[in-house]
Amino acid sequence: MNEATALPQVGERLPPLEIGPFDAQALARYAEVSGDDNPLHLDDALALSVGFTAPPVHGMKLLAAFEALLKSWRSDLAIASLGGTFVQPVLRGEKATLTGRVLRASQEDGVFVRLYAHGPSRAPAIIADATLRPRRPGSEGP
Amino acid sequence: MEVMIDAGLAENFARETGVRLEGDAAPIAYPAVWLARPALRDRIAQICAEAEALPVHESQRFNYAAPLRQGVRYLLAIAARREAEPSRLVLDATLSDPEGAAVGRIETVLRLVSRADLPKTGDA
Repeated sequence: MNEATALPQVGERLPPLEIGPFDAQALARYAEVSGDDNPLHLDDALALSVGFTAPPVHGMKLLAAFEALLKSWRSDLAIASLGGTFVQPVLRGEKATLTGRVLRASQEDGVFVRLYAHGPSRAPAIIADATLRPRRPGSEGP
Repeated sequence: MEVMIDAGLAENFARETGVRLEGDAAPIAYPAVWLARPALRDRIAQICAEAEALPVHESQRFNYAAPLRQGVRYLLAIAARREAEPSRLVLDATLSDPEGAAVGRIETVLRLVSRADLPKTGDA
């Protein structure tokens, strides 16, 4: 590990990132670029039929946005892992707030960050985590 | 299967997820594009049909030993397994470079929700 890179302190909170609200066009564009054209995200009637008041935003679109949160916080660290559980949907037209907090940081194991995406309700939409490591010189990655 | 990161698609994927790309890098979640390929989706749809269930994306994980690069031909191997109680389909994908070195591992967990348990339109 690059010893010249100062690691964050355990307990440090990442500056929150607000994303959305996403309209139907945004969901359609994500469906097109990702290939995930599941009609649940695009079809109001289908969403209604399974109990949603509007189509849910693709969970992967929200999870992927944690990369922006992490890069804006520490661009000198590379993301070695990102994973999350989709707890409840963020619906079309709703905003989401991405937050994070450092739980562990060591030269040996890198920086482990707990991440949350919150929609309008108190319960998180996504509970996630990421591991970051100092970038190797001239590299984007860990 | 052999996969490669398309520069234009990587740029569009990054834009739609709010990520700023540098150089020949790719978004961390870009492999989602590969996992949405028709052949794999058809196989998932077949498994769900046999289970009389709808897939709900429950969790997703990307682990990397090396950064993704545009223009590199990778080998993506995907194994699927079923879990019971609750019913799940787990896709475990491994990504390696042309020399066979491990690049990453991607896990996708789909909860299989019985169609019988879904609310019907018009239900109270």
